[in-house]
Amino acid sequence: MKYGYFPGCVAKSSAPELYDSTAQVAQKLGIELVELTAASCCGTGVLSEGDPFLNLVLNVRTFAMAENMDLDILTICSTCQGVMRQMKWQLDNDPNLFQRTNEALAKINMKYTGKVKIKHLLWALIEDYGLPKLEQQVVKPLKDMKVAPFYGCYILRPAEALQFESHEKSTSLERLITVLGAEPVHYEGETKCCGFPILFVQRETAFEMAANYLNNAKQRGADFMVTPCPLCHISLDLYQKKSTKQIKVDINLPVMHLSQLVGLALGVEPKKLGFGRHMVSMAKVLRVS
Amino acid sequence: MKTQEVAFRVLRFNPEQDEKPHYETFQVKIDNRMTVLDALENIKHEQDASLTFRRSCRSGICGSCAMKINRLAKLACKTRAKTEADKHGEVLAEPMENMPPIRDLVVDMAEFWREIDRGTPWLVWGESLVGSSKENLLTNEQQQVSGKLADCILCGACFSDCVSRVFDKNFAGPASLAKIHRFVADPRDKAGVKRVPGLIEMGLWSCTHCYFCWSQCPRDVRPVAAISALRVLSFSAGDMSQGARHVDAFMESVKSSGMLNEATLYLKTMRWTTIRDFDLILKMTIKGKAPLPFTRPIPKIDEVRTLFRLAREVKEK
Repeated sequence: MKYGYFPGCVAKSSAPELYDSTAQVAQKLGIELVELTAASCCGTGVLSEGDPFLNLVLNVRTFAMAENMDLDILTICSTCQGVMRQMKWQLDNDPNLFQRTNEALAKINMKYTGKVKIKHLLWALIEDYGLPKLEQQVVKPLKDMKVAPFYGCYILRPAEALQFESHEKSTSLERLITVLGAEPVHYEGETKCCGFPILFVQRETAFEMAANYLNNAKQRGADFMVTPCPLCHISLDLYQKKSTKQIKVDINLPVMHLSQLVGLALGVEPKKLGFGRHMVSMAKVLRVS
Repeated sequence: MKTQEVAFRVLRFNPEQDEKPHYETFQVKIDNRMTVLDALENIKHEQDASLTFRRSCRSGICGSCAMKINRLAKLACKTRAKTEADKHGEVLAEPMENMPPIRDLVVDMAEFWREIDRGTPWLVWGESLVGSSKENLLTNEQQQVSGKLADCILCGACFSDCVSRVFDKNFAGPASLAKIHRFVADPRDKAGVKRVPGLIEMGLWSCTHCYFCWSQCPRDVRPVAAISALRVLSFSAGDMSQGARHVDAFMESVKSSGMLNEATLYLKTMRWTTIRDFDLILKMTIKGKAPLPFTRPIPKIDEVRTLFRLAREVKEK
């Protein structure tokens, strides 16, 4: 398995533990990641509100880059994946837009054919690697751990553009958690918004969202949360103390990145997975493992 | 035709008797073709005549029968009972969110209507058109944009499932903003950027892009896309609110380095309010994860800048 790797800006900046743990997981599973170092930011749905065509062309440049290397794109960020899949879907369904985009790309001597696929690591593990094979690689099953999946938005909606699973009954994270030996915990809010997109604009509203869902997960007995999105991680871990203070509860619920959860079950040393960089301590969880 | 018995768990509430809502389960025999509305009618006719819900056209046009089915807002007349039962093992029917229940599955939609009225949900004619006897037709292409938005049947499903609205009562909600974009996207409408201050006041920048409104709209109106389009309008009209500053800082960052610089984005959007997070920035620094305000541009940044230039030319055209 070999991918054009698009880690996204946050994994290269405020969530280095995600970048590092993904490298560990890829190495353990024999997945070759060829980083698309010249790729630009996906725009996270913000750039397109400044200039939608520009945002589209910048992403198509990334697609063309991967196509040139004959590779599909792998992301570790739901938001990158969601933005890119939506743009690809737009182009698949609009021949005029496809042509206009390629005309712009021609100015930098690039061409997009439309054959590239874009996958989040979660989907790649399920579709390409296969969960039964992953289960065989588990050397440290996450026994006695109750894990609350936090899907967030961009990996589920809009389903017609993403073409993976329905947000009405999503199971991908749950299946992964089970294969790794842990027990998934369901709670109100697992497919809702973490608040991050409005954290800089409507801080109090964003805090309400994150804190309520964290609280729900805790109430249902979760030991920790896992998320496939580093932006959700910012909202859920980095700002947890502030958001939960706002709703006047003390939650203290650790939040793992998806790659860290997989890495732990594959037997990667916790130190190499960067848990020390989290705001909410993982110590209690790691003692159980 | 094959039939099966399915449990319908309905949230009941009669304000004359009940202190708070409670669930009641009915067993209903359904076949492959029955909708959730058919089954509710069946319960009403054969098991409990007091079960209350709105319905009218039974064809997905009037928007009366919107309710939460297995936790998501849908039209009962457009939702197949068997699909729901197969997926969830039961059919759970509850009144919509974000609006107070009146009785059983009926909610008071006054708040929703108020939010629709908050915008300027009508066509603002230019002076040259007022009193003109000439027809003002749209081309097919023009109609495709505003026509899709005009498909809204005001059922309230998007408003019900809007995550922002739960926590922010100033946010007008998806339907209201999509309705405004229906007119902004209509070339006959002459209000244009004059609508911007009103949009900001209605919480234009409070939408999180959770895409629930897109997923739950029974008419595929995609309100979140309309909100994004309104933000483009607002941003290009010189909006300097925090949301627009965020977009501006984002664009600047990508233009200069190709990447998102979290530090500058944060500082430029938050300005002096950064002070609230000094403790966090300190902790991030200690943990080696504080983003630096300077990022080295990606290789081939010239390509990115060329595309920026091109996009500007396209816009100016």
